[in-house]
Amino acid sequence: MLSAGLIFFLAALQGLTELFPVSSLGHAVVIPPLVGLSFRQTDPAFVPVLTMLHLGTAAALLFLYRRDWARIIAGFVRAAVRGRVETTDERLAMMLVVGSVPAGVIGLFLQDPLKSLFGDPRLASGFLIVNGAILLTAEWFRRRDERRLAAAPAPALGHAEGDPSYVAIEGLSVRTAVFVGIFQAGALLPGISRSGITMAAGLFAGLRHEEAARFSFLLATPIILAAGLLEVPSLGSDAPTALVSAGAAVLAGVVAYASARFLLRYLRIGRLDPFAYYCAALGAAGLVFIH
Amino acid sequence: MRGSGPLAIGLVVLAVVFAAVAVFYYTVKTNFLASGHPALHWKHAIVFTVLAVLCLVAANFARPKAART
Repeated sequence: MLSAGLIFFLAALQGLTELFPVSSLGHAVVIPPLVGLSFRQTDPAFVPVLTMLHLGTAAALLFLYRRDWARIIAGFVRAAVRGRVETTDERLAMMLVVGSVPAGVIGLFLQDPLKSLFGDPRLASGFLIVNGAILLTAEWFRRRDERRLAAAPAPALGHAEGDPSYVAIEGLSVRTAVFVGIFQAGALLPGISRSGITMAAGLFAGLRHEEAARFSFLLATPIILAAGLLEVPSLGSDAPTALVSAGAAVLAGVVAYASARFLLRYLRIGRLDPFAYYCAALGAAGLVFIH
Repeated sequence: MRGSGPLAIGLVVLAVVFAAVAVFYYTVKTNFLASGHPALHWKHAIVFTVLAVLCLVAANFARPKAART
């Protein structure tokens, strides 16, 4: 059985790492053995507890983008009934649906087989290094694209026709939304960050850093919320753990909200490189020190 | 976007198929495309229900529409 202290520690860790492109699940698997916490990763309550924490972070995202979600939901209903997209909010709603379907379907069929991998810290360490490589690759492509645009302005994947600048998410094409959505399925692997891989895909598709993060957060919300809601019944058999997890979910939500606000401000001028190096270092530490 | 009758019809058929699969997972104990012992897989049922609704939405987008004046 998981202790209350460990659950609250995981909650703070979850809130901090869910939205940063550093893999919250990877941290939850790698950090405890790395710091010497006695923790049974095969504990049947492990995944459902993390899922409760996901609910906390999903709530934080819903609150952060509450006005956007109100417009997006209304836009989806209007466009669905009308059978035609007429506004940017309706277009964004459809892009989010298109982007969420691949990860939702893939997650449904692969989540159980991959659950057995969730508790392996060495595997998660390896994937953290891969995560770092993905972020660095995305930044490398972005810098190359910027050099090319500076030399000879030309449209690229995801840009509006004839527009040499980087797009906002409302201008995404269906193809790009599907592309980013498929990348999100990669986060099923422990150590691969959902936000990181979708931000990387967004950068590759031509979004500005801040817009890539915004699309990543919007795209993650329905997936995280659905995954959490579907797993909540599995906590019911152990009432004390469920109550503690609920409190921890609130903690995770508060920390996640603060983290998201910080990251959005940072990405106005910053890049993903520091997160990439951090993931690589943590992954390497896990491979070296965890036996 | 120009509508396509056959595409819209195909999407409606797909929606019916997904709805039928959702009913199947909710009412029949099985482990088809699911892990573990044969059981009622309500998560699969919910996902296929959502897919059925999205197919109907897509069909509404795809159906031919009268030109706006």
